[in-house]
Amino acid sequence: MNKDKLKIGIYELTGCAGCALLITDCEMELIDIFNAADIQSFLMVKSDNIDGELDIALVEGSVTTEKEIEELKDIRERAKVVVAFGLCASVGGIQARFGNKEWKENYKKIYGDIEMTHTRAVQSKPIDAYIDVDLYLPGCPVGKEQFLHFFTRVLKGSPPEKYPRPVCVTCKYNENDCLLNKGIPCLGPLTADGCGSICPNYNLPCTGCWGPVEGANPYSEFFLLKEKGFDIEAIKKLMSNYAGTKLAEFFEQFRKESK
Amino acid sequence: MNGENKIKAPLNPFQPEPARIVRTYPLTDDVKFFQIRIVDMNKALSFQYQTGQFAMISVLGAGEAPFSISSTPSRPGLLEFCIRKAGTVTNALFQMKENDLIGLRGPYGNTFPVKKMKGKDIMIVMGGLGAAPLRSVLLYLLDNRDQFGRVMLLHGAKRPTEMLLREEFFSLKEREDLECYLTVDEDDTGEWPEDVGLVTQLFKKLGTINPENTFSLVCGPPIMYKFVLEEILKLDIPKDQILMTLERRMKCGVGKCGHCAIDYIYTCLDGPVFTYWDVIHMRELI
Amino acid sequence: MKIVKLKKSNLFLFLEIISKEADLWAPVKKSPDKHIFEVIEDFSKINLDYTRTILPPKKIMLPANFNMFRASSTEYTPDFSHVNKKIIFGIHPCDIHALVTMDKFYSHEYNDPYYQRARDNTLILGHSCWPDEYCLCKSTHTHVVEEGYDLFFTDLEDTYVVWIGSSRGDDLIRLKPELFDEDLTDKDIQKFSKRREERDKAFAKDINFEAMPDLMELKYQSPLWDKLGEACLACGSCSNVCPTCNCYNVEDKPILGKNCSNISRCWDSCTLENYSGVAGGENFREKRSDRLKLFYTHKLQSYISKYGKPACVGCGRCIVTCPVDINVYTVSKSLDGEEVDTFWNRLSKEVTK
Repeated sequence: MNKDKLKIGIYELTGCAGCALLITDCEMELIDIFNAADIQSFLMVKSDNIDGELDIALVEGSVTTEKEIEELKDIRERAKVVVAFGLCASVGGIQARFGNKEWKENYKKIYGDIEMTHTRAVQSKPIDAYIDVDLYLPGCPVGKEQFLHFFTRVLKGSPPEKYPRPVCVTCKYNENDCLLNKGIPCLGPLTADGCGSICPNYNLPCTGCWGPVEGANPYSEFFLLKEKGFDIEAIKKLMSNYAGTKLAEFFEQFRKESK
Repeated sequence: MNGENKIKAPLNPFQPEPARIVRTYPLTDDVKFFQIRIVDMNKALSFQYQTGQFAMISVLGAGEAPFSISSTPSRPGLLEFCIRKAGTVTNALFQMKENDLIGLRGPYGNTFPVKKMKGKDIMIVMGGLGAAPLRSVLLYLLDNRDQFGRVMLLHGAKRPTEMLLREEFFSLKEREDLECYLTVDEDDTGEWPEDVGLVTQLFKKLGTINPENTFSLVCGPPIMYKFVLEEILKLDIPKDQILMTLERRMKCGVGKCGHCAIDYIYTCLDGPVFTYWDVIHMRELI
Repeated sequence: MKIVKLKKSNLFLFLEIISKEADLWAPVKKSPDKHIFEVIEDFSKINLDYTRTILPPKKIMLPANFNMFRASSTEYTPDFSHVNKKIIFGIHPCDIHALVTMDKFYSHEYNDPYYQRARDNTLILGHSCWPDEYCLCKSTHTHVVEEGYDLFFTDLEDTYVVWIGSSRGDDLIRLKPELFDEDLTDKDIQKFSKRREERDKAFAKDINFEAMPDLMELKYQSPLWDKLGEACLACGSCSNVCPTCNCYNVEDKPILGKNCSNISRCWDSCTLENYSGVAGGENFREKRSDRLKLFYTHKLQSYISKYGKPACVGCGRCIVTCPVDINVYTVSKSLDGEEVDTFWNRLSKEVTK
C-alpha cells in the first residue's frame, strides 16, 4: 500500500446502506477512488478489511444498538477525521423520528419483554450523539456529484466550504414553477440542497429528505401552508421523517434568529 | 455598443498568476508570514501596487480569498502577507511550504491617500491582525520619511505572544523619527518590557496633537474601533482624515461577484480604505 | 433607424436562414402558464404568446453553473466553453433593458470576459409584448427599447414591423432581403401607433419609481423591514429569477486522481444566509431583513446613481415567484405608505397577536 495515500475507512451502522452503495455506483470513478486513497475498510466491497489507524472515516447510518456505540467510539479513536456520511449519520434519519417515550412504547409493542442476547437496542440517534463529528455530508442517499466533490476535496485536505442552500436554489436553476404557489405543500425552502431538486422537477413536492437547511424559516413556511389549508402537525410529522432528532434544534434556531 | 469602453487591463481579470512562496514562518499561534514572488519575472515587475491594496490568493484544490498586502511598494519585488488561519483557503495555505506554488492576482481596491498625507502628521493605530494592512503604509512612510511630519504608531495586542512582527516593531522603537508605542492587554509572560493595558491608554503619550494637520489610520478587530475612534474624535481630527480599512467576503476582487457590496458601493472597488465619514454616512460599514 | 416589414408567414423561413450557424434560443411553452427560453430545433415549438419566462435570458449569457478555469499549480487556463454563436429570438423590452444594464455592470472598471464574450457572440431579436397584471415596466420606463437589440419585431396581426437596431441586425436582413418590404404604408404606421396607445393603457399596476431612492434612504430603519425579514424564506428565488441579479460564488472543484481543478462559477443570492459570511465565522448580514435591505437597495436605489437607470426593469418575475409576496411591487407600495394585502403583512399580524 502506498504510504502517501490517505487511509480511509467506510463504515455502515443502521440504515439502508444506500449511501455506501452510492460509492459503488460511481462506476466511472471507482478506479480513481481506489487509486487516490488507501481504502482500509469497506465491508460492502472488500473482504480484507483492516481496523487500524485512519486518516478519514466515513460513517453511514444511525446508532441503534449498544454494540454500535462501542464500534463508533472505536472508529473515533482510530480516525483523525470522522465524517457523518448521509442523512442517518447526520441527523438520525427515519429511524430516529420518535421521541424517547414513543420509542420505548413501540419497542415494547414489537419485542415485548424478550431479553436480547447479542446486543441491546437503544433509541436511534445520529452519530454526534456519541462522538465528536468533524464533517457532515447529508443526503438520502448522498448525491453522486456531491460525494465526489466532497471526497476529492477531503483528500486534498480542504473540505468544501460550508455554504448552506435550500432546494429552491437548484429548483429555480431547473426552471420549475414554484409548487408552493400552486398550493402544493413543498418542503423545498426548509430542506438542504444537493438532490438536484429531483422531486419538483417532476411536479412532486419536496419531502425534505436532505434534512433541514441552516438559515431556513420554518415559521413563515408553516404559516403559509396553514393559510393554504394544510394541517401543520401533519407537515411537522412529514418533516420529522428526515429531520430526525435535530428537528427541535432546527425550530430553536429560528427562534434565536428572529430576535 | 458605440466604440470601446475604457477598461482596465488585464484581459481576464479573474486569471491568477502562478506565484512561489519564497519564505514562510509563524508569527503567532494562528498567524503566519508569507513572502511571495510571481513566477513570471515580467508579470512580477508589472505587479504595481500601493499601500492599502489587497490581492487574491488561490490555493489549488481549496479556493481563493482576499488578503491585504503587508509589504511596501517602496521595496519592490517580493510581496508580503500576514495571514491568519481562519477558513478553508488559509488552512490550505498553512499546510504549504517554501517553494510551493500558489495563484495570485491583483492588486485590487483603493489605497491610502499618501499624496494627500504628504507633509502631515500621521498617527497609526493597529490592533491584532490590523497590523497586516497598516504595516504596508508604515514602512512606506518610513522609506519616505522626509515627506511626512510626525509619524506615530500605537500598536496593541492581547498578549505578548500574540503581537504580530514583535521583533520588527521592537527594532522600530530604536528609530528616533518614529514615535512607537507598544502595549498588550495582559502580560502572561512576565517579561514584557513595554506598556500593559488597552491601546486607548497610549494616546496620552502622544503629547499635543495638531488635529487639522493629522491623518489617523486605524485597523483592528471590530471591538477595537469603537473605543479607538472615541479617542481620536476627542482629539478633533477631521472625520475625513480618519482612515480605516475593512474586511468583507469577496469572490472576485473586481466588483462583479457582489459579496462585498455595502449599500451601493463595493468594498473591493471603492474600499477597502474608508474614511470615518464614509463609515457614519453609509449604514452598514461597521 | 431603419424599419422594414416582414410577412408573418415568412418568419420561420427567415429564422431558418439566420440560425444555420448559431443556436437559436426562443420561448417555449412547457405547461399552461410556464414558458422558458430553450434552444430551438423545431420552429413550431416557438411560442411567442407569452408574458415572461421563468428564468430571464441572463441564463443564456452566463449559465447558472460554468467553469471559469481549468487549473493546475503552474497554469490557469480560461474555459470559454459556454460561449458559442447564439441568437435569442422573442425577447421582450424589459429583458433587453436588463441586458443593457448587465452590459454596463460587467464592463464597469473591469471587464468580465465570460459575460462579454458570450454577449458579443449573441444576437438579440426582440419581440413586442402585451402586459399582464404584474408588468411594471411602464413605471420603470423599460416598456420600450431604443438600444440593446439587433432586430426588434412588433406584431401587427399579419405582419411584423422590424426595427433594425445594429449593423449586425442589418446583415441578417441582407441574408434574404427579398423577404422584407421597405415601404411602410400610412396604414401600417397608424396600426403601430394605435397598438402602442392601447398597450400603454393596458398596464394594471404602477409604482412611483422616482420616489424610491429617497424612500429607501428615509425608511431604512422602518419596521417594514422586520416584517419582511420575518416572512422571507431565504430561498434565493427572487435573485435567481431577477434579470439584473448578477452575484455569484466561485468554487474550486478538484478532479479526482489528478493534480488539477475546475474553477467553477455559480449564481449566488444575497438573500441566502451565508452570503456575507467571512472566514472565521463572522457574518455581516445574519438577519434576513438586513439581506433584504441589500437586495432592495440595489433594485430600487443604487444602480440609478451608478448606471443612470434602476436595476429593476419591471418584468414582474419576483411578483409571480416569491411565495410570501416579497417583491418589488409590494415593497415599493409599502415604502410609499400604502397598505398592501400580502402574506408578510398577515404573518406580521399573526406574530403580534
